[in-house]
Amino acid sequence: MSFVKRYLRVTHILFAVLLLIQLLPDKSVKEVHTGSLIAAAVGIEVIILVASAFIKKEKSLELLLDIAGFVYAVLSAWSLATAKFNVLNDLLFPAPGTVIHQFVEDRDKIGINVLSSLGTTLQGFLIAVVIAVPLGLFIGWSARVGGAATYITKFFSSIPPIVYIPYGIALLPTFRSVSVFVIFLATFWPVFAGTMSGVLNVDKRIIDSAKVLNVGKAETLFRVILPAALSQIFLGCNQGLSVSFILLTSAEMIGARDGMGYYVKYYSDFGDYTRTITGLLVIGFVVIGVTFLFNKLQNHLLRWKR
Amino acid sequence: MTTNKIEIKDLTVNYTENKRSFNALTNVSFNVADGEFVSVIGASGCGKSTLLSVLEGLYAPAGGSVKIDGEELHGTGSERGVVFQHYSLFPWMTTKKNIEFGIKQARHDVKRNERSKIADEFLQKVGLGEFGRKYPSQLSGGMQQRAAIARALAMDTQILLMDEPFSAIDAKNRVVLQELLLELWEGDGTEKRKTVVFVTHDIDEAILLSDKIVVLTAHPGTVNEIVNVPFERPRRREELVKTDEYGKFRSRLLALLYNDIAERIGGEEVVL
Repeated sequence: MSFVKRYLRVTHILFAVLLLIQLLPDKSVKEVHTGSLIAAAVGIEVIILVASAFIKKEKSLELLLDIAGFVYAVLSAWSLATAKFNVLNDLLFPAPGTVIHQFVEDRDKIGINVLSSLGTTLQGFLIAVVIAVPLGLFIGWSARVGGAATYITKFFSSIPPIVYIPYGIALLPTFRSVSVFVIFLATFWPVFAGTMSGVLNVDKRIIDSAKVLNVGKAETLFRVILPAALSQIFLGCNQGLSVSFILLTSAEMIGARDGMGYYVKYYSDFGDYTRTITGLLVIGFVVIGVTFLFNKLQNHLLRWKR
Repeated sequence: MTTNKIEIKDLTVNYTENKRSFNALTNVSFNVADGEFVSVIGASGCGKSTLLSVLEGLYAPAGGSVKIDGEELHGTGSERGVVFQHYSLFPWMTTKKNIEFGIKQARHDVKRNERSKIADEFLQKVGLGEFGRKYPSQLSGGMQQRAAIARALAMDTQILLMDEPFSAIDAKNRVVLQELLLELWEGDGTEKRKTVVFVTHDIDEAILLSDKIVVLTAHPGTVNEIVNVPFERPRRREELVKTDEYGKFRSRLLALLYNDIAERIGGEEVVL
């Protein structure tokens, strides 16, 4: 890639525009923390400039630059509408610098809540996967009950897991166990259904191949059927994971004492919309981070597919 | 005196499709001697692949018997190695892992590091020395079949069953693969040759490779004729195809195949 392609990009102009906007006088009467915004923007710019020097694929570089450009544009518009011209209600719409400042100030509290949310999600999710996959393998493999199990699964997975929350609260001792229980249910059925349909759809020729090799029963199940069904299993896992976050934050808003849903609900009850928006953005980053890592794992385990 | 490795007697096979039962093979009888290479040829729909799935142990016959070393065949067995047209290899294992996995199933006495050595050796033999770490999806169809052959040979089974292994390969590579198989099977004459049953619809392939050709007819699927291939081994394709004998032998086989087809078409015309 040439120097021009690598470094002379619209994104960097957008960065300059964002900085220039900050030279305008503030119209908002509240503290808008322009310094925090500038620090964050410079931070992003440094990261993408360093990355620009190392990224080899033109497509990846373009993706990174486009995303950064979008972030700069949004920050510019946000900054103009709040701090600079004060066209939005500043009680409901904090300036971008204020949100960034709040994030830095609350980082310990946010860290604890993020860890609590992640811990609960992972616990419910992993327990569900560890039970659903082997069960789906065995039941899908035994043709006798496979058909009935498909219908039963359809019934249970059609119940939106969120409606289990009130019953869960009556049933279980702690609010955390209710969240784990609901996430477990939300993940269990799609993973179970995905595993079963994966097993039922394994190419007959692959099973024949295993048969003529005289592969034992257990080895057939775990070294042939399991990998052959893996992409469908991951489909179920992805579905479970995305529903898990929705459920977790809903559950946390209903009655938890920690977690990101609790953080957002708690401060919006006090009319602290700076922290509400900070919380929303953090949840976005956490979910995207987990999804990214999960996709990496999926791509690694399915690397043998074309 | 040569002993019979495989004895097929009065074999009848039915299969069901949409709850209707069809007759695939009727009264099929022939023997395969120890160390013999036998091809089964016939038009599509004559039941030649069904015959092989019975030998593989994947399909139970309705009548008659199949004996291996004098013992009635029951299901699959580790004395038989199989190469299919598709999906002989597991797509989630690398080429080398596939071969090691095959060895592990067939030869319980071979240790792990020994398996790795044998796998490398057979990858070399089929010209895939550099490709052990690749997944099947990263290989061409021809290379996948090379790997499948490498696995079947590395498993060192007494019997090899091959179900149209080269049918999905382009013409040029098919010739290369036939010659590779011929060379590996014939060996240098010091080792004991494997017993092979090879299903194909390619007459030239059958002549080049086989000691004996079983010609099947369709409707009902049964043996039309069993022909011994009179050409000396080791065979070389370029020399073989130039001879008059080859042309004559080939015409005879063609006639056996086409007479059957002509009779059937004639028969239908009478009905019409």
